[in-house]
Amino acid sequence: MLIRCNVFPGDRLTYALYAIAAAAAVLVFGNLAVRLAGGKKIQFTFNMLVLASLLSMFAYMLLTGASGVLLGTFSANPFSLLFASLFTVGLMLVNLIAFPYSDEYGDFAVISSFALAGMYVVASSTSLITIFLGLEMSVLPMVFIILFSTRGLESAAKLFIMAAISIAVLSFAIILAYGSTNSFALSYYGKATLLSFAALLFIASLGFEASIFPFNILVPDIYTGAPAYVTAMLGGINKKVGYVALIQVLVILFATSSTAFMVIAILSVLTMFYGNIVALMQRNTKRMLAYSSISQAGYMLIGIAVSGSSGIAATIFQIFSHLFIFIGMLAVIAVLESRNRSEVDDVIGLSGENRFAAFAMSVFMLSLIGLPMTTGFVGKFLLFMSAVNSGLLWLAIFGIINTAISVFYYARVIMAMYASKEGARPLALPLTVSAAIAVCLVITVLFGIFPAPIAGLANSAASFITSVG
Amino acid sequence: MINALFSLIPVLAGMAAVASIRNPRYPKLIAAAASAVGLALACLASYGSFSWDWFSIGGHAFAIDILVAPLNFMLLVLVMFIGTLVMIYSAGYMSAQSEQRRFYIELLAFEAAMALFSISGGFITLFIAWEFLSLTSYLLIGFWHNRDRATRAARKVLIIIFLGDLALLGSIVLFWNLFATLSFTAIMSSLSVSVPPGLYLAVMLLLIAIFTKSAQFPFHEWLIDAMEGPTPVSAYLHSSTMVKAGVFAAVLLFPIFQAAGVLYLISAFGIVTAVISTLAALREFHIKKVIAYSTVQELSIMLVAIGSGALLAAIYFFFVQTFYKSLLFFTSGNVMEATGRDYINEQYGLKSNRLIYLTTLAGVLSLAGFIPFSGFLSTEGISVALSKDVSEYLVMSLISFLTSVYIFRWFFYPSRSTQNHSVRSNYLSQPKSMVYPMALLALLTLAASAAFVYMPSFMAYGGSLPFLSGLSMGINIEDSIILSALVFAGAAVSYIAYARGTHIKLGAIGKIMYTNPAMTFAYGIIASFIYYVAEGADIFDSWLSSAFDYIGHFTMMSATTIRRVSAGDINLYALAVVSGIICLFAAMYFLVIV
Repeated sequence: MLIRCNVFPGDRLTYALYAIAAAAAVLVFGNLAVRLAGGKKIQFTFNMLVLASLLSMFAYMLLTGASGVLLGTFSANPFSLLFASLFTVGLMLVNLIAFPYSDEYGDFAVISSFALAGMYVVASSTSLITIFLGLEMSVLPMVFIILFSTRGLESAAKLFIMAAISIAVLSFAIILAYGSTNSFALSYYGKATLLSFAALLFIASLGFEASIFPFNILVPDIYTGAPAYVTAMLGGINKKVGYVALIQVLVILFATSSTAFMVIAILSVLTMFYGNIVALMQRNTKRMLAYSSISQAGYMLIGIAVSGSSGIAATIFQIFSHLFIFIGMLAVIAVLESRNRSEVDDVIGLSGENRFAAFAMSVFMLSLIGLPMTTGFVGKFLLFMSAVNSGLLWLAIFGIINTAISVFYYARVIMAMYASKEGARPLALPLTVSAAIAVCLVITVLFGIFPAPIAGLANSAASFITSVG
Repeated sequence: MINALFSLIPVLAGMAAVASIRNPRYPKLIAAAASAVGLALACLASYGSFSWDWFSIGGHAFAIDILVAPLNFMLLVLVMFIGTLVMIYSAGYMSAQSEQRRFYIELLAFEAAMALFSISGGFITLFIAWEFLSLTSYLLIGFWHNRDRATRAARKVLIIIFLGDLALLGSIVLFWNLFATLSFTAIMSSLSVSVPPGLYLAVMLLLIAIFTKSAQFPFHEWLIDAMEGPTPVSAYLHSSTMVKAGVFAAVLLFPIFQAAGVLYLISAFGIVTAVISTLAALREFHIKKVIAYSTVQELSIMLVAIGSGALLAAIYFFFVQTFYKSLLFFTSGNVMEATGRDYINEQYGLKSNRLIYLTTLAGVLSLAGFIPFSGFLSTEGISVALSKDVSEYLVMSLISFLTSVYIFRWFFYPSRSTQNHSVRSNYLSQPKSMVYPMALLALLTLAASAAFVYMPSFMAYGGSLPFLSGLSMGINIEDSIILSALVFAGAAVSYIAYARGTHIKLGAIGKIMYTNPAMTFAYGIIASFIYYVAEGADIFDSWLSSAFDYIGHFTMMSATTIRRVSAGDINLYALAVVSGIICLFAAMYFLVIV
């Protein structure tokens, strides 16, 4: 299906990687320069153009199957290129939402591009040190984005403290791993007791980034406190970085350590139940979505617990699916939030005010439930399938039970949106927000009906990452 | 084969057209036309199977399978045909309702899902269609979303149906694990070689799915709640098509159930449901709910027949039941429209409109099992097949008698004459679109008797479902006489007990029976006995439904507790993380060191 010929032999690949590095630098420093000189519209145009060119480079390399290492540190491979493209697309969509609603768009553009650079570092890292560095680069900017956008210290301070705890634990994990292996490089070193303890600390620290129970307990607070576009970035992209790091560390470093994966399987069940059960009682839409995204994180863990190439491929597909669904939902929430409507009751009659927004929101929620012909179904189907195929039947059963619980709160929102409301006035969507919703909607449905291309990419990414160790 | 999929195109196009045209006069015309074109294309479908590689991951390939065997073809044509009639009926019935566009879009979406279901040749296709059936059914039951009862009913339906959907998903995952394929024919041919050990669990989950969809005990209650939806929806989804999806799947996958050795379970649950629903029908007064209980009963009889291996009899019943059941639902709609009442003991004057009266009578006679209506042949076919087992045969005979009692009761109450002129004129001024489909269905109820002869050779045609060839069904003279006597006795009991206050002349014998205190007393005892048994079944029923409510309550309660903990204190968060790490270490200690 994909054209697999190496159009980047030798030097040409190195040049291409330098070009990407240069483009990323242009993104960060150019945005800074424009922030100091230009206005909001210029900033937006510049930001989107550079992001689009980065995306096209990544996508081209991904589809041509390029593979290589820059400076012995940044690896271009099916896995890193796939996630670099996903994060870039995600940030473009978030920018579309942020543009009309952010008062400090310039600051957002600069800091978010800095975070994106950190995400590239995580996705392409070949050693624990770059993972550490990249995670810091991608998490700490979020503290500042929240600080700028809400003008409130509380959420930002909470995120900062929790990030600091997670960093401390992560560095301790890396030290333990180094003590056992004498190397920072990401590869398989065999079994060791010290490494097993390192695995737990990795799970704990990356669990904060990937919102795994009980390290995720802060997530709903932050999601609710931040404006919708920031939440979209946090839940849609940032949390996915945690997953990328988790997959890399666990699958490569602990390739055959079944204990770590058993722990992941148990945490997966806890995370699903925690997210779904608490989501049942939420009256605030964003808070409900926060818990819903926690439960989705639990589903993604199923694939990591399976740990074979089919499990990782399923997780990657689920990450792809949730990224677009979450950003699409937050785009709708952003519109409501601009009218100070943040409770579940406030979506009553949305279909009478804006048919498109209500329809898109319903499709996103049905996809989260797992309706066939959407990406959500394919992702869940693959996850459960891979769990059963590798003998984890109980994990699949817990996943299915949780799907049943989740129907209640999604159905409540869908029903509320289609209830009729007296005196409904049309609710206009800003053009860029409509575009973001439309892109997410098309991707959710199109790749739900024709999942083969994405499944192919997820497959090659997964088989690459499982073969590294 | 692939051209069977063409029949979906006009339906989907119709949806798009209804969605884009704002003039309120067109949706009904577009919907009826789309269904009619779909019907024409469905009739042109050719037999065969087709498989499209959907996607592959981790070395596993998933395919969308389409299978058009005579069995599938029959359901496809039925779905499109009844769909067309329902669209025409709705043009009259829904004329005064707002939000017609939404109604027709949802109904057409249901039709497309049902058509896809009928030609599915693998579990993936089946699941896609199955999920869309659940979704559209939920939307249509809750169509009147400003009526509190309708939304509550829709939610209850959603819970039960979704349980079934998840069971189906679980069974699909297990089937994949066992056979590495999800195509029905491939699974069946692999089963004929050897039966894998884990088949039982997968089949049990599949059975749960079938029981929820076909409203079998203990999940039967949702179908009664579903009557809160508009009448055309009841006539289409909840009598003739969607609820039969489970039965259809049971026939289509018969060899799988046979190999797993669970046929006795299908029979057992079928019998229990048949008894419960028959008794419930006897004491129900809501005009649509009587018919709904009767539907539950018929579905369970089909499953009993399948469980006993009488596939052809079940398929024939499946076929003919469609016509008279949708007909009786159409009648219910007409009566409710004309009288403005929902309960049969408050309804009068059905006889004012001769055409409606006679067509309804045809449907009632067929349902009860009078010669020469198709209902007689279907009941007789199953009765003969079950006559091997005495206890099953006796239960079925009793059910035939009671069915006749309740359906004539259902018919006699609204047939009582009335002096109220507005009701009479309401009957006479029913729109033609609400009456002519009924007449057509009444004729088909009679004509479908001929299909009894052709069914065995038709089902065996092509041989793509080998287990359906070489079967036969027949009728037995003595059994026919017994059955007819029972049915007639039931009608007579019903007439005496419920047709009071009518102007129907009873004649001399009738007068003796009518005025004789001993007779009245005896009928009183029979009636009260039936009533108390039915009451007991009803208490059990409500216990069952409150059990489902308690599950909901429990989850809500634990949710409140957790929410209190996660209320926004940073110390608490840090504590959670640290205690999480400690727990992980403790777990590790036990797993690795000890």
